[in-house]
Amino acid sequence: MEFLLSGQLLVAALIIGSIYGLVALGLNLIYGTMRLLNIAHGDLVMIGAYTGYWLFTLAAISPVLAMLAAGALAGLTGAALYFGLFRRQLAGSQPIERIEANSLLIFFGISIVIQNLTALAFTASPRTYQALDTLVRIGEVSIAQSRLVALAVCLGLSAAIVLFLRFSALGLSIRALIQHRTASRIVGIDVDRVQAFTFVLGFALAGLAGTLIGVTEQISPFMGFPFTIVAFVVIVLGGLGNLAGGIAAGMVLGLIETYGVALTSANLRSVLIYGVFILVLVLRPEGLLQKRRLT
Amino acid sequence: MKKFVGALAASALAAAAWAAPVQAAEVRIGYSIAKTGLFAPAAPSQINAYNLWAEQVNARGGLDLGGKEKRKIELIQYDDQSNPGNAVKIYEKLITQDKVDLLLSPWGTPHHFAIASVLERHKFPMIGSTASSVQLRNMKPGNIWFTTAAVADKLATAMVGLLQSAGVKSVAILTNQLPFGQENKKFLMPALKAAGIEVLVDADYPPNIKDMTAILVKVKAAKPDGVIGLAYPGDSILYINKAREVGIAAKFQYLLVGPAIGFFRGMFKGAADGIVTLGHWSPHGDDARSKAFYAAYKKKFKQEPDYLDSVEAWVSVEILEQAVAKAGLDKDKLRQAISTGTFDTIIGKVRFDGVQNAVTPTGFLQIQKGELHVVWPKDRQTAPLAPKTGWK
Repeated sequence: MEFLLSGQLLVAALIIGSIYGLVALGLNLIYGTMRLLNIAHGDLVMIGAYTGYWLFTLAAISPVLAMLAAGALAGLTGAALYFGLFRRQLAGSQPIERIEANSLLIFFGISIVIQNLTALAFTASPRTYQALDTLVRIGEVSIAQSRLVALAVCLGLSAAIVLFLRFSALGLSIRALIQHRTASRIVGIDVDRVQAFTFVLGFALAGLAGTLIGVTEQISPFMGFPFTIVAFVVIVLGGLGNLAGGIAAGMVLGLIETYGVALTSANLRSVLIYGVFILVLVLRPEGLLQKRRLT
Repeated sequence: MKKFVGALAASALAAAAWAAPVQAAEVRIGYSIAKTGLFAPAAPSQINAYNLWAEQVNARGGLDLGGKEKRKIELIQYDDQSNPGNAVKIYEKLITQDKVDLLLSPWGTPHHFAIASVLERHKFPMIGSTASSVQLRNMKPGNIWFTTAAVADKLATAMVGLLQSAGVKSVAILTNQLPFGQENKKFLMPALKAAGIEVLVDADYPPNIKDMTAILVKVKAAKPDGVIGLAYPGDSILYINKAREVGIAAKFQYLLVGPAIGFFRGMFKGAADGIVTLGHWSPHGDDARSKAFYAAYKKKFKQEPDYLDSVEAWVSVEILEQAVAKAGLDKDKLRQAISTGTFDTIIGKVRFDGVQNAVTPTGFLQIQKGELHVVWPKDRQTAPLAPKTGWK
């Protein structure tokens, strides 16, 4: 059992956890502000992974730069979808429950379209590439550069966004929108602008995270869905709309997955993730890290 | 006017057809393969071998049909999307609708297994390639044969021999849950026990595994002399990346399927040196047939053949060509010719006993300085086995 004390295992758990945290953050932002259930979130991760792959394979561009391009590409996709589809949905007078239900169906369609267009363009074959594969030693732990970059970027970006939401005017308006949409409109927040910004930011984060994931994992058109699921598990754990809670929950899920697999079997990975999901939904539907609301 | 030009063109075409020498129809040869999906990275090795063969046969004037005539080859290929169920439908279609003259095999054990019943139902003989299965062998089918020497029970015996010669006393076994890995493990475990080789870690994992760190941290803590990875290409890549990161120091490290594919060595450069894998062919010996195949493949595709899959696929068409030269296209005569004949191939003489290659001994390859060498059995060695020393 002493292998459980290995630093290598802890670092692996932190890396997975920080990636989960960042992927879920984008989903949580969009859900929190607009109540849109983005089932296609994982497909943005996939687009980010392909962006990294092609830029590296065709132009030898490092994933560190490619992730910015991937973020921009995913952000643009977000802008197109917001202004093309969702702005009208959100501006209408329909109740929020209706928007939530509609968005689920619309994003489901978008997900299928993105996956199949990618499969048509690049075939469904899995791809891998070797970039940033120098080993870095920290004490007894050695770790590939690519994964170290992923850890640093995910933690750094997550922290930066939490600070941004706490201290900048735009960030405060996003939080206001998360707390109460109608009230924030009354106090003079430009809801449309804030929504557009959040939508693009949420998409961009997924794309950027996708490049980091694509360096270490096999890339295929259908790689995104598991990340959508994980992101939902994370935000349910952390509490819907609770951004800092979501990042912490990402870490918790990373630890559960890594140590759970180490203690049992790699065959039980999905069982662990879905098990946690169901347990939390049954026992604490408001999320592990959310205070109970008196409503 | 338009009508007139049309009529003129039509009569000109008819005249041209009339004037051309009567050419016999091509021999239509069909197969399905995983062009997309989970197994797609492995399929080009096999497709390339088929295409090279068809090109060479056509350049020689065509396929010799029982010594009576020669006809050119037309290959008909479908994508089974890595799904054995699709392969079943495709082979059914190839036989009943496309009415092909001959069949080539798909990629991988699950697909061979799936289509065996279609072959039996239509009594259509097909020489297998990149597959083997003790379970299928025990069912004694009559229309499928395995060229490979890598049948799980023979493989277990050979592996124990190799481990003993390398002084390995303890191992960790990591098994992909696909059938070939599982069947290998089934025969390997008792063989290891009988030889007194201790199994310190025994971990199964799903085919789409994403992170092996948890398993490899356990392996590292157990300090086995050898790691036996019953892996497929995707997880072989994952193993190298993670084992290098975790720092697995075992002197013997084996990956079942993957390292024999050309891109694998290029991808990892020095890091893959010392890895042992399944295979019984190498161009480094002095067999002229092998050297010709190696040179032609490298010239056409600008890369090395896969020492396992391209070779098995090539052997299967070598046998098919020789059997057809003897028996023609009649299915019953062809089945007879394949089951009873002895064939010259790049892995030496091949003869079948039931479904199984009765001649070729099970072998292993090792990556040494970026080249693959036969290290087992000893009488076929192109280089002696060397311990894996670090990850460079």
